[in-house]
Order: sequence, then structure tokens, then C-alpha cells
Amino acid sequence: MLDLSRVAGQIEEMVGQLKAGGQERQEHLARALTLMVDRTLDFEKLKRKAAQSKTTFLVAGLVELLATHTQSIDTPTDFSIIATDGSQIDVDRHQSARCYLINIGRIRLDYGQNPRAMLESLPKLCANDNDLVISNGTKEQVVEGALLNIKRSVDECKHLAEMAAELLISQPSLAVIDGSLILWGLASKEYPDFVVEELLDKGFIKCLDDMLKLAKDRPFALASYISFPRSTDVVNALRLALCPHDLADCDKYCGEINIGKRPCDAVAGVQDRDLFANLLADGERSALFTSQSKIVKENYGKHWVNFFYMKLEDEIARVEIPEWVAQDAAKLGLTHALMLDQCRRGQGYPAALAEAHEQAVVTGAVRQNFQQLVEILMTDEHMLQATSAKSRSKKTRWV
Amino acid sequence: MKTQSERLGEIIEVSTTGFTAQCYELYELPPLGSLVKTTEGDIELYAVVYQATTEGLEPGRKPIARGKDEASEEAIFQSSPQLAKLLRSEFSALVVGHKDGDKILQYLPPRPARIHSFVHACMPGEIKAFSQAFGFLNILVNAELETPSDELIAAVLRLMSTMHEDSRAFLVGTGKELAALLGQDYAKLKAVLERIKP
Repeated sequence: MLDLSRVAGQIEEMVGQLKAGGQERQEHLARALTLMVDRTLDFEKLKRKAAQSKTTFLVAGLVELLATHTQSIDTPTDFSIIATDGSQIDVDRHQSARCYLINIGRIRLDYGQNPRAMLESLPKLCANDNDLVISNGTKEQVVEGALLNIKRSVDECKHLAEMAAELLISQPSLAVIDGSLILWGLASKEYPDFVVEELLDKGFIKCLDDMLKLAKDRPFALASYISFPRSTDVVNALRLALCPHDLADCDKYCGEINIGKRPCDAVAGVQDRDLFANLLADGERSALFTSQSKIVKENYGKHWVNFFYMKLEDEIARVEIPEWVAQDAAKLGLTHALMLDQCRRGQGYPAALAEAHEQAVVTGAVRQNFQQLVEILMTDEHMLQATSAKSRSKKTRWV
Repeated sequence: MKTQSERLGEIIEVSTTGFTAQCYELYELPPLGSLVKTTEGDIELYAVVYQATTEGLEPGRKPIARGKDEASEEAIFQSSPQLAKLLRSEFSALVVGHKDGDKILQYLPPRPARIHSFVHACMPGEIKAFSQAFGFLNILVNAELETPSDELIAAVLRLMSTMHEDSRAFLVGTGKELAALLGQDYAKLKAVLERIKP
């Protein structure tokens, strides 16, 4: 077992290093903030540069002036929030029954004249071949681990689209997704095209299509919420402002220069949230930006991911929205107002998301109970239980 | 007057001597000392409510104060409509008798109730019929509960007495029965009698 007394010294060392790096980071932050409010900066030029440069880092697409800060509109009297979250029990390769479980928490909160709440959790056990592998007929990809995570995100979105269809047409409403609208999991690994098609085009994007259809004739918007974001898209756009070349090409111009010595490293180590913690007042949103990640460019189409940052009492949150929300002033205003209101009702975190998480969560004890239940029911039916020696050894510990 | 008895909740914990039931609606609890009933097969079980609680649905989630900026308690629930679903009210009842066929028996039934059995409030007629005899007082006197027995006995008798045309005669009768049962414990007898004075 982990011996904490042996780690304590290493933790102390880590804290020391963080403290030493703090001074340099403050200088970089000051530089970045100066750039954010620099009126002499040619915004249109920077916007083009951000769109056309070849960089080794992800640069935000620019939409509104960098120093933009917008107050929220008032929340409508009556409105609804829907949210989903999910968790899973992964395939256990030490067990004989091959299966996984996805538990989706679904929340609908109606506010105003007729306040109402709907909280539910819907577990689904998947043991069919159709669920366990994604196949194109000749090749197949096993659904487990990271891929199961992505499948769960798709399921969360499916449930959200289902709930959106049941909302009142005239009632202002916001659908909230936990985390990013960008399925980073699919982008980070080289998955075969048929997997991307199944999960993204026929899955996630199709749900967004369904919600867009609904949104056309009613005050409905969709957004995802990221607490304590670690993204640097906007800071990376500032790197381009520091880059001495007309169009940046990191590999070509700076490929041989050590990291830390490049001209743009004057803002290194700063995160977007550091910028907006200084630029925004409580409840304000930042300028709009667009994501230029490859997966968005290639797959998201009319749902191209835009985002803004929002200042709350204790933190900066990142709110991601599809293009059709970003380009509709009423939907954008509604998203900002309702997201802020949710955070205020939820002690700093959207109340609906917190409840969705509570509905979805699968605790360690429940995980064990689930495995036991599978074993008991299989034994009842006299099915041979072949479990691995490793699994038995973990359950029965001896000296 | 209602002709059908009201369904109060559903049993979630049970033993030979009593049960705990969860209410379907938050705070819709039967009063302390009221007579309730449930069934086990053909037998109807009678019990008196001795304890009620309202707390978070999940043991790990404690309610927090939310009303600092709200005008009323109702406004708290309007601003967070999910609250009513995250809290639950429960009541516990002590079994004081049962009905087998037409016979009311003021002693413990052979088997306890079952989990998920419904609990109903007793109708005035049933309460009156049940309190024709005073055998249930012995069970109340001897029960070891969180609620002090003098408080519970007094609450039961106050409610039952309102079902009798001559409530004074009912209280005098039960008072005599208690005097016999609590002969060794004058302080408790005095406490009960003070609490049922008309």
C-alpha cells in the first residue's frame, strides 16, 4: 500500500517548485493582460493570423474584440433547465460475463410560476454484440475504456435531445451538457473512420441536429459547462500577437529554438482563466471565441463550437455553445443569463448539473454490488463462473 | 368526513414490534400518537406513531441553509424546486394490536408487516372501536422508544378521546388503567395525567 510518509517529502519539493515558478508566471500574466487591452493591436490582422497560421498549439478563432466584457441580461420569469450526466461500470476483463453498464442522470428543473423538478437515473446494461463492439462489417472496435467514455458522452447527449423534445415550446429553456461539446476522446486517438462516424456523425452530431431543429422556432439554447478550465486557446492567440512573423509557422521558424526561448514564450504558462479572472467583473462573460481544433473543423459543421468565459464568485468557467447559439443574440443572451443563474442557485456550480451528477454517480460500493449481483444471478442459473485468479486474489486478501 | 382512509406512506423498515414508513409527500406526516394501520396477509396491524423525521434522501448529502436572501420559506423551494425530491419524511410506529377477522386483539400479531406495505390512517370509527379496550396501554407503558413514553401515551389518549362522545369518561377510564400499570412510577403517571387534562 502507498506509504504516505515517503511521499510527504516529495510533496514539499513540489510545492517549493510551484512557488518558485509563480514569480515568472506573474510576469507572463501581466504581459498577456497588457495585450488583451492594447487598443493599438490590429484586431482584424490578428484574427486573420489566428485563422491562417500553422501552429503547434491550439489557437482560438477570434470573433469579438479581446477586451469585450458583457453583463448578463435578466433571467426570464419562467424558464426550464435540462441537464444530463453519466457514469459507467466498464467491462471487467477478470469476470466471465462480458458487459458494461451506463447510468445516465436526467434532470429537468422548471422555475417561475409553476416550479417543478424531475430527477431520474436510467441505468442500461450492455451485453449484446451490437453494444460491445462497433463494427463496419469487416472490422470491429471493442467498446471499453476510453471508447466507452466517449459512448457515454454520446448517450448523455441522446438523452438530452430526448428531454429537449418534451419541453414547452414557448418556455425559454437551456439544455446543459457537463464538460466539453468537443469529443476530445475521439480526437486524441487514431480511431478508424467507421468508429468516428458511428459515435460522432450518427451519434453526437445527430443529437445536436435534433436540438437545432427544435431551437429554430423557440427560445431554446444548448451549452456545455466546464468548471476550472485549463484551456489556453485565447492565450495562444496572444502568442500570435507576439510572433514577429506575418503568419506563424512554428515548425518552420521556431522548430530549432528551445521551448521557453521563443518570442511568444513571454506569455507561457498563463491559462485563459487567469486572464479573465482579471478582466471580467462578477457575472460578466468574455468575448466569443471559436474552437479551431481539427475534430471541430472536420466534423461539427453547423454546430461549430464557440465558447466564452464567465466570471463567478469563486472561479472562471468556460461555456461552450454551438454556432447556432453563438450567432443568435437572443439565444446567446439567454445562455449567459441562465447559466449564470444556475451557478448562483447551485453554490457556484450549475444546480442542474450537480443534481445530474448525483443521479448518475456509481459509487465504489455499488460497483461491487453490481459485480456480485451478476455473479449471483449467473450462479443461480448454474452457469460456470470462470473468474481470474487475480480478481479472486484482490477480493480475498491474506497474509 | 372522509369515507376512505388516507394512504400515508410505505414501510421501509420493519420488526416484530414496529415499523418505519416513508411518506409519499414531504412533511405529510401523521400526528404524534395517531393510530395507523397496515396489513400482513389477512391480518390488519394497528400501530401508533411515536417518531417522525425529515432528512436528506442520501446519507452523504446534508441539507444546507439556503434562505439568507429569500423572502419566505416557500421561496426557498421555488428557487430550488429539486429540494422537495431530495428530502424525505419518515415516521415510525409501534404495533399495539391487530385485527383477525372481526376480532380486535390488543397484543402483538404473529408476524410483522412487510417492506413496501402501505400504511393508512385509521378512520374515526376504527379508532373508536380499537379504543374500547385499554390493553394497548400496557404495550405503550413498556416500550423503550426515543420519544418519552409519558409524552407518547398522553398524545395517544388525547387523540383517541376526541373519537368518543363522552371523552371525559374515556380519559377517566384510561387514567384508572394507567394508575394500575404505573403504580410503581408515580412521577410518570403524574406526567401523563397532567398532559391529558381536559
